[in-house]
Amino acid sequence: MSHGPLPDRDDQANAAARTGLAAAIDRGLAILNSIIVVFAAIALIAACAILSYSVLSRALFKAANYWQDEAAVFLLVGATFMTAAYVQQNRGHIGIEAFVGLLSPLANRIRLWLVDAVTFLFCAFFAWKSWTLAHEAYVDGQVSNSMWSPPLAIPYSLMAFGMSLLCVQIIVQLALPFAGARRP
Amino acid sequence: MSVFGIGLAYGIATLVVMFSGMPIAFALGAVAVVFMGIYMPAASLDTVTQNVYEEMASITLLSIPLFILKGAAIGKSRAGQDLYSALHAWLHRVPGGLGVANVFACALFAAMAGSSPATCSAIGSAGIPEMRKRGYSGGFAAGIIAAGGTLGILLPPSITMILFAVAAEKSLGRLFLAGIGPGLLLVSLFGAYAVIRFRQEYAAAEAIYKNGGPEATILARDEYTLAERFSVLPRVIPFVLLLTGVMIALYGGYATPSETAGLGGLLALALIAAIYSVWRPSDLAPIMKSTIRESTMLMMIIGMSLLYSYVMSYLHISQSVAESVVAMHLPRWGLLFTILVMVVVLGFFLPPVSIILMTAPIILPPLRAANFDIIWFGVVMTIVMEMGLIHPPVGLNIFVIRNVAPDIPLREVIWGTLPFVLLMMLAVLLLCFVPGISTALPDLVMGPDGSR
Amino acid sequence: HAATTLKISHQFPGGTIDKGDFRDRLCRMFAAEVAKRSNGDIAAEIYPNSSLIKTNAQFSAMRKGALDISLYPMPYAGGELPETNIGLMPGLVTTYDQGMRWKKEPVGKALTDFLADKGIILLSWVWQAGGVASRSKPIVAPEDAKGLKVRGGSREMDMVLQTAGASVLSVPSNEIYAAMQTGACDAGITSSTSLISFRLEEVAKSLTSGAGASYWFMLEPLMMSKAIFDKLPKPQQDVLLTVGTELEAFGRKGAQDDDVEVAKVYEKAGAKVSALDAATVGKWRDIARDTAWKDYSAKTATAANLLKLASDVGA
Ligand code: NA
Ligand code: NA
Repeated sequence: MSHGPLPDRDDQANAAARTGLAAAIDRGLAILNSIIVVFAAIALIAACAILSYSVLSRALFKAANYWQDEAAVFLLVGATFMTAAYVQQNRGHIGIEAFVGLLSPLANRIRLWLVDAVTFLFCAFFAWKSWTLAHEAYVDGQVSNSMWSPPLAIPYSLMAFGMSLLCVQIIVQLALPFAGARRP
Repeated sequence: MSVFGIGLAYGIATLVVMFSGMPIAFALGAVAVVFMGIYMPAASLDTVTQNVYEEMASITLLSIPLFILKGAAIGKSRAGQDLYSALHAWLHRVPGGLGVANVFACALFAAMAGSSPATCSAIGSAGIPEMRKRGYSGGFAAGIIAAGGTLGILLPPSITMILFAVAAEKSLGRLFLAGIGPGLLLVSLFGAYAVIRFRQEYAAAEAIYKNGGPEATILARDEYTLAERFSVLPRVIPFVLLLTGVMIALYGGYATPSETAGLGGLLALALIAAIYSVWRPSDLAPIMKSTIRESTMLMMIIGMSLLYSYVMSYLHISQSVAESVVAMHLPRWGLLFTILVMVVVLGFFLPPVSIILMTAPIILPPLRAANFDIIWFGVVMTIVMEMGLIHPPVGLNIFVIRNVAPDIPLREVIWGTLPFVLLMMLAVLLLCFVPGISTALPDLVMGPDGSR
Repeated sequence: HAATTLKISHQFPGGTIDKGDFRDRLCRMFAAEVAKRSNGDIAAEIYPNSSLIKTNAQFSAMRKGALDISLYPMPYAGGELPETNIGLMPGLVTTYDQGMRWKKEPVGKALTDFLADKGIILLSWVWQAGGVASRSKPIVAPEDAKGLKVRGGSREMDMVLQTAGASVLSVPSNEIYAAMQTGACDAGITSSTSLISFRLEEVAKSLTSGAGASYWFMLEPLMMSKAIFDKLPKPQQDVLLTVGTELEAFGRKGAQDDDVEVAKVYEKAGAKVSALDAATVGKWRDIARDTAWKDYSAKTATAANLLKLASDVGA
């Protein structure tokens, strides 16, 4: 009824040798995604370390804690949006498939393609609005309202970049069936 | 179109898009944006991304990925397996002992985490495989963890209780304390059910075996000598260290709940590095990958569900539902019943945080007028919202289970969680007849509630 | 049917027109009164508890015309428009009289013009005094804060506290209770109304009330999107502005009642209640002048001008 990620489907999804532009972009994206995952993992651990540091420094040295929460938020927001494409690559954004048994195989293929197309439209809209938000924040010099005051353009751009990457990922997944590959 | 018409269209559109197989996060977002485009001022579309960002950019909410990391570090390394073999060595004589142990583990983790999916994931990533290895059926194992996970927002600290206390202008300390009694009640109910269900599954497997069928794993009897049982005890030490470390940090006044999440994640990583030599990038890769998959998936759903509830709120849908309930002028218990049914229905689509924010201002005044204890209601409402976490279509805990154990069919997960939903209903019923289960502890600790 | 339906958003607990948080009541009175004065041409819906839109997103939504009206703590917009931090500058406003005088003085005009230029109309000026809840000794003078972990809640307050020797702590407002209960945080500074609604009296041993004078005054006006305002016919605009101005007295009374109420609530819970006097407030202002004020006026020319004009308004 539902499709979720199978364990390490990313390894299988790219196993079949494919040719064509879509397949080439797909391989490129896979490499990019695995690099991003490394950085996201580092960001997660860094967020843990920063929060722990704020606990320790306060307990031991009564040190102020004015940038730690925000730094952790930026790292975690960045990690979340930047890995959205990686998760999509593995079909890890979970959905509920209630109609799968009611439709013919062809109808199901069309349905899945439509689902991806609508997902793309939404994500493209979101990515576009994220870029305008990031641009606005950059031009106006918007900062986070704290003693540390980091520019808001940083998390907004991470959101925009992550959502754009997600769009590219979905386009490739939309195009692959035409390049002769099957939807995993 | 009337609010009713728009509301109906919104609900139906959501169901269709969601059941079409579109990822939940994007389905919620897409439906919201389309309705925004049709019924809301054009400028609203410019605020979409900032709204989602504001929702997510809270350290309280973003502690969820870190709690997931802590769970994955324990669950995906040998630490989790060792913990459960130790628990098994001690509890194997109790029928369903491992299931009971998992309920306890959920309750303990709930006392560290403020959210249910995090609890579910932390205990489930080790607990589900271990239970299934010992012959528990997939649905049973999933049910225990999905239901046990809901203790995350009933036992303090709890993100939703914080929001409720602020909305109801009630004491958060009192509300936290009021959740403990019902939390323990649910632990006992879940534990008792685990024992009964285990006996059933055991008896069924035994009948098959006696009729010449294969011997199921559930029938296997491990024997441990006392020496063996003590020799496995050190394996529990890492977990106990982690738990006490985090507890001391939180309740000893060293860390805020969100900081505790970071501290717990780092401690968990340090422990598995020190004891199981899990520190090389190749060892850490599966832990980090599964953390990222799960937390990104969840955070996207949470972020987009805000967008969804924003549109629902703007179009006055949720408020109208609540207002029409109030306008019915029902008798006291009828009012409560109707409000709880409404919470259940909203729970089909919305996470607890959104339900509280949207309905509290409207349903609380009539409940107050009907002389209900608002703290008590907060606890009852929390349990009812928890049911929403483990029933479809949007049940965050079910999605977590799908991620932790992708090979258990969704059907089985849902059937497995159903008995627990019934147990929670039973708990709500008990709370209605014996409110003391909830109110006795806060009254004892803080004195009677004068502002009631 | 109303010709115009306005959505009023705020982040505070919702109630009724007669009961509850005065900021919510102010919005409801505003809605009722504009409906009456416009003969039903303007209707307004109240969305309490940030149930319509996230707290921090309200300001930007109003500027874009996606939200009509909000009762909004002005300094929350400080990240977007640093000039708005004037609405919570430690020691700059020390009494309600002084704050209420802004509107008629040059600073009021400068601020109104600046905000109008950024797409915001001020309908009703509301100031709120704040105090300190502490889980140990009372924080009255700056030296009391030394060595304590304090949640200041704003960039400017944090600067002052840090200079006073406190270690500042950034805790989201809904976590203050838990942080103070466990001791992760020793004290928190916020408005009297929030000191009540967060129930900090249960975890606090002392309260410094801002009833008489305070170095913590926040401008929390009822504001409106200029894009929406400009689209309304002149008579409706006049109704909105008139009703807004008339409600300023209610806002002031509500804030001052809470200053008295907070002391009662904390006293009843067994906390030691202290008051601030002009001399102590002066000590805080001296620190603020060298730190927060300086930092603020260095930001933009408008900020420097606003600060200069504001410090001309006598206490
Ligand atoms: Na909890
Ligand atoms: Na649900």
